[in-house]
Amino acid sequence: MKSPLHGFSVSLGILCFALAGTAHAQSDAARVAALKTRLAVLAKETTQVEDITKIQRIGRSFGYYTDKGFFGEAADLFADDATFQWGNDGIYKGKAHIKELLTRQGGGSMKEVAGLPFGRLNLRMQLQPVVTVADDGNTAHARWREWGLLGQYQKEISWGDAIMEDDYVKDNGVWKISARRYYQNFVSPYGDGGWARLKPVNNGQVSKVGQEFPADVKAEPYPMFPVSYIPPYHYAKGKPTAIMSDAPVNPPKRADDKIGKLETLADTKALALGRARSVRAIENLQAMYGYYVDKGQWQQASQLFSKDGSYEFGQSGVYLTPAHVEKALRLMGPKDLEAGQLNNFVMVQPIIDIAADNRTAKARWRSDVLLSRAGKGRWGGGVYENEYVNDNGTWKFSKLHYYVTFWGDYDEGWQAKPFPMDPPSKESPPDQPPTLVYESFPTLQVVPYHYANPVTKEPHKGE
Amino acid sequence: MMHSDSLFTALRRSLLLGTAVLTLGATTVHAQSDTDLQAIEKDLNDVGTRITRLQDLTDVEIVQDAYGYYVDKAQWRSLAGLFAEDATLEIGGKGVFTGKARVFEYMQTGLGPIGPRKGGLIDHQQFQCLPTIHDDGVTAEVRCIAFVMSSGGWGHNYYEDDFVKEDGVWKFKKLHGPFNMYSSYKEGWIDHVIVNTFPEKFKPWPDLPPTTIYLTYPSYYAEPFHYPNPVTGKAAPTPSPRAGGEAFGR
Repeated sequence: MKSPLHGFSVSLGILCFALAGTAHAQSDAARVAALKTRLAVLAKETTQVEDITKIQRIGRSFGYYTDKGFFGEAADLFADDATFQWGNDGIYKGKAHIKELLTRQGGGSMKEVAGLPFGRLNLRMQLQPVVTVADDGNTAHARWREWGLLGQYQKEISWGDAIMEDDYVKDNGVWKISARRYYQNFVSPYGDGGWARLKPVNNGQVSKVGQEFPADVKAEPYPMFPVSYIPPYHYAKGKPTAIMSDAPVNPPKRADDKIGKLETLADTKALALGRARSVRAIENLQAMYGYYVDKGQWQQASQLFSKDGSYEFGQSGVYLTPAHVEKALRLMGPKDLEAGQLNNFVMVQPIIDIAADNRTAKARWRSDVLLSRAGKGRWGGGVYENEYVNDNGTWKFSKLHYYVTFWGDYDEGWQAKPFPMDPPSKESPPDQPPTLVYESFPTLQVVPYHYANPVTKEPHKGE
Repeated sequence: MMHSDSLFTALRRSLLLGTAVLTLGATTVHAQSDTDLQAIEKDLNDVGTRITRLQDLTDVEIVQDAYGYYVDKAQWRSLAGLFAEDATLEIGGKGVFTGKARVFEYMQTGLGPIGPRKGGLIDHQQFQCLPTIHDDGVTAEVRCIAFVMSSGGWGHNYYEDDFVKEDGVWKFKKLHGPFNMYSSYKEGWIDHVIVNTFPEKFKPWPDLPPTTIYLTYPSYYAEPFHYPNPVTGKAAPTPSPRAGGEAFGR
């Protein structure tokens, strides 16, 4: 985006601080006018953060509705003239067609108000949003991941994997989805090696539902897994505003008069809002990182680190600076991955704590990991304890540390066939040894919590 | 948002002030400023309330997510610390446990001793949390998924939980975890699924019977939504037990 609202607002905020700095030299009228300008900016920026949470709510509601066959409710999340591209089946237009598409894909009935028949499983988890609200506050974009547990009792069982890129529109004050591009990556059987042994399909192959209920318009075909295809990012060009927040500022000393008290109150509110915005920026940053790692985009992923940022994965040691982080990431596979390689690191369960001054942050996350290498599938699970820095208004990783809980064979499962962690690489050795030596499953490690108990406020000292 | 009330109010007042400066003397401006200052203070506090709600959304999700991380490693004391004194817990078909002490007992007696056990994975992952802060600012609800990867295999359940803000701190008031699907790893959910727990399945016994009796996958059960459709503002309809089957005349 050429002139992001956010940049404008931040500059305006700084300007206000600058004006306030010369408060003594100003007339009271000018100070009051400056306060009013700040108030307007605060109100506008609060709306922008609220908009992010509202869009997250729509995406998550979609999952809860489709899980249980509330397909009419799911279709109601779309604008009247919305479009829905379902994989290579094509583009469905309007709410009525979207409802029928979801009903057929989910195994429901157009004759009943909601529900699913006995034996139908349609759990479609909606995860890892990156939400970008446009300058004008009237349109927005989001990237989501869908992870599906699908099946028919005693007949069929499969995994679903898809990336979605959505457009949203604010219509009479209400956000709606105006376009969804559902890039299905695979629907794989549970047995027979799962996704790792999927055979290539022809580009543009239409699903059974797509044949019975054809789309309104053809879509540009794209390749599915085992080809490693990267669905286009809405934030690919220019500065990604989704990871931006207010640049850190030193709260100015205000005059000890009535107006000065209000200026201090405005400073307090601005800081609180900056911190609330930072929570969403860090959610977006972690999600963006995950999407790059998914697809072997090592350079893009490493550019999300600060200049002295560090990266530590399992027992592989610590890499310092983005250039070395990229080197470490490359140990997972070639750039953009090879056909047959799956590298899904699902980013979930955030506990984000922004420092009181909005300059740094810490967060705990976890990843489920779905891998495939040379026709063999693998599960993984682990916990991140990360640190972030607000670099003049853009959030970056200052430390990423992934603690491996388990690695497990797909065919036999993590219980029957767990794998140990990799030792430090000889080919691209780390800058420092592991900060904590531990073993993964079947041994279990309590990963240190960066936070005190959120209710009792007591630090965790073991049980 | 550009068209928010507070923005309009602020702009209107700026305009009024400008007019006042142009048309009236300096003393009048000072008198007008006092009312003006009060209005600014009110507007700042109003926007402050909205900012607090944004932080509330984060804080409620943190309690829910912290719960998941404590389950992972059987940190039952820390987990019980997340509950209000008079909170309740109901998971699957086991019935209702009342009070913080019983929450701890449910975990320790029902699920196993404190701390992780070698070879026993109980990852209780929290996905897709959808929190709602009510207008009173001191009660909240969340719908969330627990996706379980454990030594026993797979689990998928919802949480529909209530929260209360006491002395500025969000806590569980009611933890309610209806099941969706539990299966082994080997075959997955194609067969041999666990359709629910029940009060006498394991100790401790509940204080109250289950609030709803239901069977989960392969049967159908939909836990009611605490929130209306975010676009239409309407409550979800009651699902039909006849849904599907001969859906398209097949």
